Amino acid sequence: MENNIENKEMTAQQSLNLISEMMNNSRKSILSKNGKHYILWGVLLTIVSFVIYELWHTTGNPNWNLLWLAMPIIGFPMVKVISKKDAEIPQNIISRQISGLWLAYCAFVMVIFVASVFFLKPMQMNLSLIIVLLLGFTECISGIMLKNWTIIISGFILGVGGSFAATLIQSAEQLLMFTIGGLVIMVTGLIVKSQYK
Amino acid sequence: MFPKLDPLLHSELRLAVMSILAGVDGAEFSYIKQQTGATSGNLSVQIDKLSAAGYITVEKGFKGKVPCTTCKITKAGLNAFENYVNSLKEYLI
Repeated sequence: MENNIENKEMTAQQSLNLISEMMNNSRKSILSKNGKHYILWGVLLTIVSFVIYELWHTTGNPNWNLLWLAMPIIGFPMVKVISKKDAEIPQNIISRQISGLWLAYCAFVMVIFVASVFFLKPMQMNLSLIIVLLLGFTECISGIMLKNWTIIISGFILGVGGSFAATLIQSAEQLLMFTIGGLVIMVTGLIVKSQYK
Repeated sequence: MFPKLDPLLHSELRLAVMSILAGVDGAEFSYIKQQTGATSGNLSVQIDKLSAAGYITVEKGFKGKVPCTTCKITKAGLNAFENYVNSLKEYLI
């Protein structure tokens, strides 16, 4: 804010302006923190999916998909590191709900992934379609909660575009869809971060 | 007749502090200081006043080896803030 608030008294209009400015600034700093998380997960998704694509493509062995487990193993400690830097930015009801939403997404994906790898026959379930649709949907809901059109639209593109791609593209090439998805998430994060600087 | 505005909240810095705390679970002193641009001394005095009125709670602790003061709005503080905003609206209608 344009700073140095004193102890002076104000008119009713000034008071309301101050309240709205303070609340808005606080919301901005929470959103900016959110942007960093989008960048982190976007970069991670891009790298991991591309590495798995390359390995699968080169060796012809789909078991490289187990490397997806590296996402949470690398991602969550990195979230901790980022959160430490932003430790003084407070949580509010929205940021807590968004964390819960993404944790629920991770839980869904992990259970479906493990179930499909160990209990289902290959190709019985279009795993990519489910994961990408849920990813887009979760991002879209996050955008609605944050009242941010950039996140809403990119979530929609990711979910709908990804679902079509997952249906039309087969085998290792499907992974490139996640590489593009990761880039979309990363760009979303950069936009959100710059919007709320 | 216009309602009387809560004198404790009708001060720029105290109102700014309450506005920040009304929207979050709790905020550290350093965050409030950065958001308001107030000096540490002035902010401490105003936080003490809000705390004495029961509008906020102040918890002093440590983050590692660094002292850390966290402020949270209380139910009474939230009610007072809500009443204050409602009263302001009447001034403007």
